[in-house]
Amino acid sequence: MTFDPTILAPYLGDLAAGARLTALACALALAGALALGIAVALMRTAASAPARRAADIYVDVFRNVPFIVQLFFLFYGLPEIGLELDAFSTGVLALSLAGGAYTSDAIRAGILAIEPGVLEAAQVSGLPRRVIYRRIVLPIALRTSVRPLGAVFVNLILTSSILSAITLNELTGTAKIVAADTFQPFEVYAALLLAYVTLTYIVSLSAGALHRRLNRDRAMGSG
Amino acid sequence: MRYTDFTPNDILLLLQGLGVSAALFAATTAIGLLIGLSWAVLRYYRVPLLAPLFAAVAELLKNSPVLVQLFLVFFGLPVLLETDVTPVQAAVITLSGNTAAFIYIIAVSAIESVGREQLETARVFGLTRWQTLRRVVAPQAAAFGLGPLTGLLVNQLQVTSLISVVGVLDLTRMGAILNLRTLKPFIVWTVVGLLYYLMAKLIAKTCARLETRLRAHTAWKGL
Repeated sequence: MTFDPTILAPYLGDLAAGARLTALACALALAGALALGIAVALMRTAASAPARRAADIYVDVFRNVPFIVQLFFLFYGLPEIGLELDAFSTGVLALSLAGGAYTSDAIRAGILAIEPGVLEAAQVSGLPRRVIYRRIVLPIALRTSVRPLGAVFVNLILTSSILSAITLNELTGTAKIVAADTFQPFEVYAALLLAYVTLTYIVSLSAGALHRRLNRDRAMGSG
Repeated sequence: MRYTDFTPNDILLLLQGLGVSAALFAATTAIGLLIGLSWAVLRYYRVPLLAPLFAAVAELLKNSPVLVQLFLVFFGLPVLLETDVTPVQAAVITLSGNTAAFIYIIAVSAIESVGREQLETARVFGLTRWQTLRRVVAPQAAAFGLGPLTGLLVNQLQVTSLISVVGVLDLTRMGAILNLRTLKPFIVWTVVGLLYYLMAKLIAKTCARLETRLRAHTAWKGL
Protein backbone atom coordinates (compact mmCIF):
# COMPACT_ATOMS: atom_id res chain seq x y z
CA MET A 1 0.00 0.00 0.00
CA THR A 2 1.55 3.26 -1.12
CA PHE A 3 0.15 6.74 -0.98
CA ASP A 4 2.13 9.47 -2.69
CA PRO A 5 0.25 12.65 -3.60
CA THR A 6 3.40 14.30 -4.98
CA ILE A 7 2.88 12.43 -8.27
CA LEU A 8 0.20 15.04 -9.02
CA ALA A 9 2.68 17.93 -9.19
CA PRO A 10 3.49 17.73 -12.95
CA TYR A 11 -0.21 17.64 -13.78
CA LEU A 12 -1.39 20.64 -11.78
CA GLY A 13 -1.49 22.82 -14.93
CA ASP A 14 -3.74 20.34 -16.74
CA LEU A 15 -6.00 19.97 -13.72
CA ALA A 16 -6.27 23.75 -13.36
CA ALA A 17 -7.32 23.96 -17.02
CA GLY A 18 -9.94 21.28 -16.34
CA ALA A 19 -11.15 23.19 -13.29
CA ARG A 20 -11.47 26.36 -15.40
CA LEU A 21 -13.60 24.49 -17.93
CA THR A 22 -15.80 23.14 -15.10
CA ALA A 23 -16.16 26.65 -13.68
CA LEU A 24 -17.02 28.10 -17.09
CA ALA A 25 -19.59 25.38 -17.85
CA CYS A 26 -21.18 25.80 -14.41
CA ALA A 27 -21.28 29.60 -14.63
CA LEU A 28 -22.95 29.49 -18.06
CA ALA A 29 -25.33 26.75 -16.91
CA LEU A 30 -26.21 28.78 -13.80
CA ALA A 31 -27.12 31.74 -16.00
CA GLY A 32 -29.20 29.47 -18.25
CA ALA A 33 -30.84 27.70 -15.33
CA LEU A 34 -31.69 31.04 -13.64
CA ALA A 35 -33.27 32.47 -16.80
CA LEU A 36 -35.23 29.27 -17.35
CA GLY A 37 -36.07 28.96 -13.66
CA ILE A 38 -37.47 32.49 -13.48
CA ALA A 39 -39.63 31.94 -16.58
CA VAL A 40 -40.88 28.58 -15.32
CA ALA A 41 -41.50 29.87 -11.79
CA LEU A 42 -43.60 32.71 -13.22
CA MET A 43 -45.54 30.19 -15.30
CA ARG A 44 -46.07 27.94 -12.30
CA THR A 45 -47.51 30.82 -10.27
CA ALA A 46 -49.48 32.28 -13.19
CA ALA A 47 -53.27 32.54 -13.31
CA SER A 48 -53.45 30.63 -16.59
CA ALA A 49 -54.03 26.90 -16.04
CA PRO A 50 -52.38 25.68 -19.29
CA ALA A 51 -49.22 27.67 -18.46
CA ARG A 52 -49.11 26.17 -14.96
CA ARG A 53 -49.65 22.70 -16.37
CA ALA A 54 -46.93 22.99 -19.04
CA ALA A 55 -44.42 24.26 -16.48
CA ASP A 56 -45.31 21.51 -14.01
CA ILE A 57 -44.79 18.83 -16.67
CA TYR A 58 -41.35 20.25 -17.53
CA VAL A 59 -40.27 20.20 -13.88
CA ASP A 60 -41.72 16.72 -13.30
CA VAL A 61 -39.93 15.21 -16.30
CA PHE A 62 -36.54 16.78 -15.65
CA ARG A 63 -36.60 15.89 -11.95
CA ASN A 64 -37.54 12.25 -12.48
CA VAL A 65 -35.24 11.23 -15.32
CA PRO A 66 -31.51 10.72 -14.58
CA PHE A 67 -29.24 13.52 -15.79
CA ILE A 68 -27.02 11.14 -17.75
CA VAL A 69 -30.08 9.97 -19.75
CA GLN A 70 -31.03 13.59 -20.51
CA LEU A 71 -27.42 14.25 -21.51
CA PHE A 72 -27.24 11.24 -23.87
CA PHE A 73 -30.64 12.15 -25.32
CA LEU A 74 -29.28 15.57 -26.29
CA PHE A 75 -25.73 14.47 -27.19
CA TYR A 76 -26.79 11.66 -29.54
CA GLY A 77 -30.23 13.00 -30.47
CA LEU A 78 -29.55 16.63 -31.45
CA PRO A 79 -27.26 15.76 -34.42
CA GLU A 80 -30.12 13.55 -35.72
CA ILE A 81 -32.28 16.62 -36.22
CA GLY A 82 -29.41 18.54 -37.78
CA LEU A 83 -28.29 20.39 -34.67
CA GLU A 84 -24.53 19.84 -34.49
CA LEU A 85 -23.40 21.11 -31.10
CA ASP A 86 -19.98 20.40 -29.60
CA ALA A 87 -19.71 18.48 -26.31
CA PHE A 88 -19.25 21.69 -24.28
CA SER A 89 -22.39 23.40 -25.64
CA THR A 90 -24.43 20.20 -25.27
CA GLY A 91 -23.22 19.88 -21.68
CA VAL A 92 -24.10 23.48 -20.82
CA LEU A 93 -27.51 23.06 -22.46
CA ALA A 94 -28.23 19.84 -20.56
CA LEU A 95 -27.09 21.37 -17.23
CA SER A 96 -29.24 24.46 -17.85
CA LEU A 97 -32.34 22.40 -18.66
CA ALA A 98 -31.93 20.16 -15.62
CA GLY A 99 -30.92 23.08 -13.39
CA GLY A 100 -33.92 25.12 -14.55
CA ALA A 101 -36.29 22.59 -12.98
CA TYR A 102 -34.58 22.98 -9.60
CA THR A 103 -34.10 26.76 -9.71
CA SER A 104 -37.78 27.19 -10.59
CA ASP A 105 -38.66 25.38 -7.34
CA ALA A 106 -36.54 27.74 -5.27
CA ILE A 107 -37.81 30.87 -7.04
CA ARG A 108 -41.42 29.71 -6.91
CA ALA A 109 -41.12 29.29 -3.15
CA GLY A 110 -39.74 32.84 -3.02
CA ILE A 111 -42.71 34.16 -5.03
CA LEU A 112 -45.25 32.35 -2.87
CA ALA A 113 -43.62 33.75 0.27
CA ILE A 114 -44.33 37.37 -0.75
CA GLU A 115 -46.93 38.85 1.59
CA PRO A 116 -50.21 39.43 -0.36
CA GLY A 117 -50.38 42.96 1.08
CA VAL A 118 -47.30 43.98 -0.89
CA LEU A 119 -48.90 42.91 -4.17
CA GLU A 120 -52.24 44.52 -3.27
CA ALA A 121 -50.47 47.77 -2.48
CA ALA A 122 -48.71 47.65 -5.86
CA GLN A 123 -52.00 46.97 -7.64
CA VAL A 124 -53.94 49.78 -6.00
CA SER A 125 -51.06 52.11 -6.78
CA GLY A 126 -51.98 51.48 -10.41
CA LEU A 127 -48.66 49.93 -11.41
CA PRO A 128 -48.84 47.88 -14.63
CA ARG A 129 -48.42 44.11 -14.23
CA ARG A 130 -45.03 44.11 -16.02
CA VAL A 131 -43.66 46.66 -13.60
CA ILE A 132 -45.05 44.76 -10.60
CA TYR A 133 -43.30 41.61 -11.78
CA ARG A 134 -40.01 43.26 -12.71
CA ARG A 135 -39.68 45.71 -9.84
CA ILE A 136 -41.43 43.96 -6.95
CA VAL A 137 -42.12 40.24 -7.39
CA LEU A 138 -38.79 39.14 -8.87
CA PRO A 139 -36.45 41.20 -6.68
CA ILE A 140 -38.18 39.98 -3.51
CA ALA A 141 -38.47 36.38 -4.71
CA LEU A 142 -34.83 36.25 -5.83
CA ARG A 143 -33.36 37.74 -2.68
CA THR A 144 -35.29 35.39 -0.41
CA SER A 145 -34.18 32.38 -2.44
CA VAL A 146 -30.43 33.10 -2.61
CA ARG A 147 -29.57 30.36 -0.12
CA PRO A 148 -31.68 27.62 -1.79
CA LEU A 149 -30.33 28.76 -5.15
CA GLY A 150 -26.84 28.32 -3.72
CA ALA A 151 -27.73 24.70 -2.90
CA VAL A 152 -28.97 24.24 -6.47
CA PHE A 153 -25.68 25.69 -7.77
CA VAL A 154 -23.69 23.29 -5.57
CA ASN A 155 -25.66 20.41 -7.10
CA LEU A 156 -25.02 21.80 -10.55
CA ILE A 157 -21.26 21.73 -9.90
CA LEU A 158 -21.43 18.14 -8.66
CA THR A 159 -23.59 17.12 -11.64
CA SER A 160 -21.18 18.77 -14.09
CA SER A 161 -18.74 15.89 -13.40
CA ILE A 162 -21.06 13.73 -15.54
CA LEU A 163 -20.12 15.82 -18.58
CA SER A 164 -16.92 13.75 -18.64
CA ALA A 165 -19.14 10.94 -20.01
CA ILE A 166 -19.58 12.84 -23.30
CA THR A 167 -15.83 13.25 -23.88
CA LEU A 168 -15.60 16.70 -22.28
CA ASN A 169 -12.28 17.16 -20.48
CA GLU A 170 -13.49 19.27 -17.60
CA LEU A 171 -12.10 18.63 -14.11
CA THR A 172 -13.25 15.00 -13.84
CA GLY A 173 -12.41 14.23 -17.48
CA THR A 174 -8.90 15.62 -17.00
CA ALA A 175 -8.47 13.63 -13.79
CA LYS A 176 -9.37 10.46 -15.68
CA ILE A 177 -6.54 11.14 -18.12
CA VAL A 178 -4.10 11.90 -15.29
CA ALA A 179 -5.13 8.70 -13.47
CA ALA A 180 -4.49 6.65 -16.60
CA ASP A 181 -1.17 8.42 -17.14
CA THR A 182 0.24 8.03 -13.63
CA PHE A 183 -1.20 4.61 -12.73
CA GLN A 184 -2.01 6.18 -9.34
CA PRO A 185 -5.82 6.47 -9.49
CA PHE A 186 -6.32 6.59 -5.73
CA GLU A 187 -4.23 9.73 -5.24
CA VAL A 188 -5.77 11.38 -8.29
CA TYR A 189 -9.41 10.70 -7.39
CA ALA A 190 -8.88 11.47 -3.68
CA ALA A 191 -7.46 14.85 -4.68
CA LEU A 192 -10.34 15.33 -7.12
CA LEU A 193 -12.88 14.60 -4.40
CA LEU A 194 -11.26 17.16 -2.11
CA ALA A 195 -11.19 19.70 -4.95
CA TYR A 196 -14.94 19.39 -5.44
CA VAL A 197 -15.59 19.55 -1.68
CA THR A 198 -13.52 22.75 -1.47
CA LEU A 199 -15.22 24.28 -4.51
CA THR A 200 -18.73 23.55 -3.26
CA TYR A 201 -17.82 24.71 0.26
CA ILE A 202 -16.74 28.09 -1.11
CA VAL A 203 -19.97 28.35 -3.13
CA SER A 204 -22.17 27.52 -0.10
CA LEU A 205 -20.31 30.02 2.08
CA SER A 206 -20.63 32.76 -0.56
CA ALA A 207 -24.32 32.02 -1.08
CA GLY A 208 -24.88 32.20 2.69
CA ALA A 209 -23.00 35.51 2.95
CA LEU A 210 -24.88 36.97 -0.04
CA HIS A 211 -28.18 35.81 1.42
CA ARG A 212 -27.50 37.54 4.75
CA ARG A 213 -26.34 40.69 2.99
CA LEU A 214 -29.39 40.95 0.73
CA ASN A 215 -31.83 40.17 3.55
CA ARG A 216 -30.20 42.39 6.20
CA ASP A 217 -33.28 44.57 6.63
CA ARG A 218 -35.62 41.66 7.22
CA ALA A 219 -36.87 40.30 10.52
CA MET A 220 -34.98 37.56 12.33
CA GLY A 221 -35.13 34.07 10.91
CA SER A 222 -33.87 35.06 7.53
CA GLY A 223 -30.27 35.61 8.57
CA MET B 1 -33.65 -7.25 -41.56
CA ARG B 2 -30.90 -4.75 -40.92
CA TYR B 3 -28.91 -4.68 -37.71
CA THR B 4 -30.25 -1.23 -36.89
CA ASP B 5 -33.82 -2.52 -36.59
CA PHE B 6 -35.35 -3.09 -33.17
CA THR B 7 -36.04 -6.74 -32.30
CA PRO B 8 -38.30 -8.23 -29.61
CA ASN B 9 -35.09 -9.22 -27.85
CA ASP B 10 -34.33 -5.55 -27.19
CA ILE B 11 -37.30 -5.40 -24.83
CA LEU B 12 -35.79 -8.26 -22.84
CA LEU B 13 -32.47 -6.43 -22.81
CA LEU B 14 -34.09 -3.29 -21.41
CA LEU B 15 -36.08 -5.27 -18.84
CA GLN B 16 -32.89 -7.00 -17.74
CA GLY B 17 -31.25 -3.61 -17.30
CA LEU B 18 -34.30 -2.37 -15.42
CA GLY B 19 -34.01 -5.37 -13.09
CA VAL B 20 -30.34 -4.66 -12.39
CA SER B 21 -31.07 -0.98 -11.67
CA ALA B 22 -34.03 -1.82 -9.42
CA ALA B 23 -32.11 -4.55 -7.55
CA LEU B 24 -29.06 -2.34 -6.97
CA PHE B 25 -31.31 0.50 -5.87
CA ALA B 26 -33.16 -1.73 -3.38
CA ALA B 27 -29.97 -3.31 -2.01
CA THR B 28 -28.03 -0.06 -1.62
CA THR B 29 -31.04 1.70 -0.10
CA ALA B 30 -31.33 -1.05 2.53
CA ILE B 31 -27.59 -0.99 3.33
CA GLY B 32 -27.48 2.81 3.23
CA LEU B 33 -30.48 3.03 5.56
CA LEU B 34 -28.80 0.69 8.04
CA ILE B 35 -25.45 2.53 7.98
CA GLY B 36 -26.96 6.02 7.96
CA LEU B 37 -29.28 5.25 10.87
CA SER B 38 -26.47 3.72 12.93
CA TRP B 39 -24.40 6.88 12.39
CA ALA B 40 -27.39 8.90 13.59
CA VAL B 41 -27.69 6.68 16.70
CA LEU B 42 -23.98 7.23 17.43
CA ARG B 43 -24.68 10.95 17.30
CA TYR B 44 -27.78 10.59 19.51
CA TYR B 45 -25.58 8.94 22.16
CA ARG B 46 -22.86 11.56 21.50
CA VAL B 47 -20.18 8.86 21.17
CA PRO B 48 -16.82 10.67 21.27
CA LEU B 49 -14.58 10.46 18.19
CA LEU B 50 -16.95 8.23 16.19
CA ALA B 51 -19.86 10.69 16.06
CA PRO B 52 -17.78 13.63 14.71
CA LEU B 53 -15.86 11.26 12.40
CA PHE B 54 -19.01 10.03 10.67
CA ALA B 55 -20.43 13.55 10.55
CA ALA B 56 -17.29 14.56 8.61
CA VAL B 57 -17.53 11.51 6.32
CA ALA B 58 -21.17 12.35 5.57
CA GLU B 59 -20.19 15.95 4.73
CA LEU B 60 -17.47 14.71 2.34
CA LEU B 61 -19.84 12.30 0.60
CA LYS B 62 -22.62 14.88 0.38
CA ASN B 63 -20.41 17.54 -1.19
CA SER B 64 -18.54 15.54 -3.83
CA PRO B 65 -19.79 14.07 -7.10
CA VAL B 66 -20.97 10.45 -6.91
CA LEU B 67 -19.08 9.80 -10.13
CA VAL B 68 -15.80 10.75 -8.45
CA GLN B 69 -16.63 8.57 -5.43
CA LEU B 70 -17.32 5.73 -7.84
CA PHE B 71 -13.98 6.22 -9.64
CA LEU B 72 -12.20 6.34 -6.28
CA VAL B 73 -13.71 2.99 -5.28
CA PHE B 74 -13.52 1.29 -8.68
CA PHE B 75 -10.13 2.49 -9.93
CA GLY B 76 -8.47 3.76 -6.74
CA LEU B 77 -9.19 1.11 -4.09
CA PRO B 78 -7.87 -1.88 -6.07
CA VAL B 79 -4.52 -0.14 -6.58
CA LEU B 80 -4.29 1.09 -2.99
CA LEU B 81 -5.27 -2.24 -1.38
CA GLU B 82 -3.92 -4.44 -4.18
CA THR B 83 -7.19 -6.34 -4.59
CA ASP B 84 -9.82 -6.69 -7.27
CA VAL B 85 -13.07 -4.74 -7.18
CA THR B 86 -15.77 -5.77 -9.66
CA PRO B 87 -18.06 -3.12 -11.17
CA VAL B 88 -21.01 -4.42 -9.15
CA GLN B 89 -19.00 -4.36 -5.89
CA ALA B 90 -17.86 -0.81 -6.63
CA ALA B 91 -21.47 0.17 -7.37
CA VAL B 92 -22.76 -1.35 -4.12
CA ILE B 93 -20.03 0.26 -1.99
CA THR B 94 -20.37 3.70 -3.57
CA LEU B 95 -24.16 3.90 -3.71
CA SER B 96 -24.59 2.50 -0.18
CA GLY B 97 -22.08 4.98 1.22
CA ASN B 98 -23.65 7.89 -0.62
CA THR B 99 -27.18 6.92 0.46
CA ALA B 100 -25.95 6.48 4.05
CA ALA B 101 -24.60 10.05 4.10
CA PHE B 102 -27.93 11.55 3.08
CA ILE B 103 -29.95 9.22 5.35
CA TYR B 104 -27.71 10.36 8.23
CA ILE B 105 -28.43 14.01 7.50
CA ILE B 106 -32.20 13.40 7.27
CA ALA B 107 -32.20 11.26 10.43
CA VAL B 108 -30.29 13.86 12.45
CA SER B 109 -32.73 16.64 11.54
CA ALA B 110 -35.68 14.29 12.12
CA ILE B 111 -34.40 13.39 15.61
CA GLU B 112 -33.83 17.07 16.36
CA SER B 113 -37.40 17.84 15.28
CA VAL B 114 -38.66 16.08 18.40
CA GLY B 115 -39.02 18.68 21.14
CA ARG B 116 -36.52 18.73 24.03
CA GLU B 117 -39.31 18.80 26.59
CA GLN B 118 -40.36 15.33 25.43
CA LEU B 119 -36.88 13.98 26.15
CA GLU B 120 -36.94 15.58 29.59
CA THR B 121 -40.41 14.19 30.30
CA ALA B 122 -39.27 10.73 29.23
CA ARG B 123 -36.31 10.98 31.62
CA VAL B 124 -38.54 12.08 34.47
CA PHE B 125 -40.71 9.02 33.83
CA GLY B 126 -37.59 6.89 34.22
CA LEU B 127 -37.15 5.78 30.61
CA THR B 128 -33.60 4.87 29.62
CA ARG B 129 -31.99 6.74 26.76
CA TRP B 130 -32.57 3.74 24.46
CA GLN B 131 -36.24 3.42 25.48
CA THR B 132 -36.68 7.13 24.82
CA LEU B 133 -35.20 6.71 21.36
CA ARG B 134 -37.20 3.60 20.60
CA ARG B 135 -40.61 4.61 22.02
CA VAL B 136 -40.68 8.41 21.93
CA VAL B 137 -38.21 9.79 19.39
CA ALA B 138 -38.18 7.17 16.62
CA PRO B 139 -41.92 7.04 15.82
CA GLN B 140 -42.17 10.83 15.51
CA ALA B 141 -38.84 11.17 13.71
CA ALA B 142 -39.90 8.51 11.19
CA ALA B 143 -43.06 10.43 10.31
CA PHE B 144 -41.06 13.68 10.07
CA GLY B 145 -38.29 12.14 7.96
CA LEU B 146 -40.45 10.39 5.38
CA GLY B 147 -41.02 13.50 3.27
CA PRO B 148 -37.32 14.25 2.78
CA LEU B 149 -36.66 10.50 2.48
CA THR B 150 -39.03 10.29 -0.50
CA GLY B 151 -37.11 13.02 -2.30
CA LEU B 152 -33.84 11.30 -1.45
CA LEU B 153 -34.94 7.89 -2.75
CA VAL B 154 -36.22 9.31 -6.03
CA ASN B 155 -32.86 11.03 -6.36
CA GLN B 156 -30.83 7.93 -5.44
CA LEU B 157 -32.67 5.91 -8.10
CA GLN B 158 -31.37 8.39 -10.66
CA VAL B 159 -27.89 8.26 -9.16
CA THR B 160 -27.78 4.51 -9.89
CA SER B 161 -27.59 5.43 -13.59
CA LEU B 162 -23.97 6.55 -13.02
CA ILE B 163 -22.75 3.00 -12.41
CA SER B 164 -23.20 2.36 -16.13
CA VAL B 165 -20.00 4.39 -16.56
CA VAL B 166 -17.90 1.66 -14.91
CA GLY B 167 -19.61 -1.09 -16.92
CA VAL B 168 -22.47 -2.38 -14.77
CA LEU B 169 -25.19 -3.60 -17.17
CA ASP B 170 -27.97 -1.44 -15.74
CA LEU B 171 -30.80 0.29 -17.60
CA THR B 172 -28.63 3.20 -18.78
CA ARG B 173 -25.91 0.82 -20.02
CA MET B 174 -28.49 -1.20 -21.96
CA GLY B 175 -29.74 2.07 -23.43
CA ALA B 176 -26.18 2.94 -24.51
CA ILE B 177 -25.79 -0.50 -26.14
CA LEU B 178 -29.08 -0.15 -28.03
CA ASN B 179 -28.23 3.44 -28.96
CA LEU B 180 -24.95 2.31 -30.50
CA ARG B 181 -26.53 -0.54 -32.44
CA THR B 182 -29.80 0.97 -33.67
CA LEU B 183 -28.57 4.56 -34.14
CA LYS B 184 -32.00 5.76 -33.02
CA PRO B 185 -31.11 7.92 -30.00
CA PHE B 186 -34.49 9.66 -29.70
CA ILE B 187 -36.46 6.43 -29.37
CA VAL B 188 -33.93 4.63 -27.17
CA TRP B 189 -33.34 7.44 -24.67
CA THR B 190 -37.04 8.34 -24.54
CA VAL B 191 -37.93 4.75 -23.62
CA VAL B 192 -35.09 4.53 -21.07
CA GLY B 193 -36.11 7.89 -19.59
CA LEU B 194 -39.73 6.78 -19.40
CA LEU B 195 -38.78 3.59 -17.54
CA TYR B 196 -36.81 5.63 -14.97
CA TYR B 197 -39.72 8.05 -14.70
CA LEU B 198 -42.19 5.25 -13.97
CA MET B 199 -39.86 3.74 -11.35
CA ALA B 200 -39.48 7.14 -9.68
CA LYS B 201 -43.26 7.58 -9.56
CA LEU B 202 -43.64 4.11 -8.06
CA ILE B 203 -41.16 4.99 -5.31
CA ALA B 204 -42.87 8.30 -4.59
CA LYS B 205 -46.28 6.64 -4.43
CA THR B 206 -45.08 3.87 -2.08
CA CYS B 207 -43.52 6.45 0.25
CA ALA B 208 -46.68 8.59 0.23
CA ARG B 209 -48.77 5.58 1.23
CA LEU B 210 -46.34 4.75 4.04
CA GLU B 211 -46.43 8.36 5.24
CA THR B 212 -50.24 8.35 5.47
CA ARG B 213 -50.00 5.25 7.62
CA LEU B 214 -47.30 6.67 9.91
CA ARG B 215 -49.19 9.90 10.37
CA ALA B 216 -52.47 8.11 11.08
CA HIS B 217 -51.76 8.17 14.82
CA THR B 218 -50.86 11.83 15.01
CA ALA B 219 -53.87 13.12 13.07
CA TRP B 220 -56.55 14.57 15.32
CA LYS B 221 -59.71 12.51 14.89
CA GLY B 222 -61.81 14.09 17.62
CA LEU B 223 -62.82 12.59 20.91
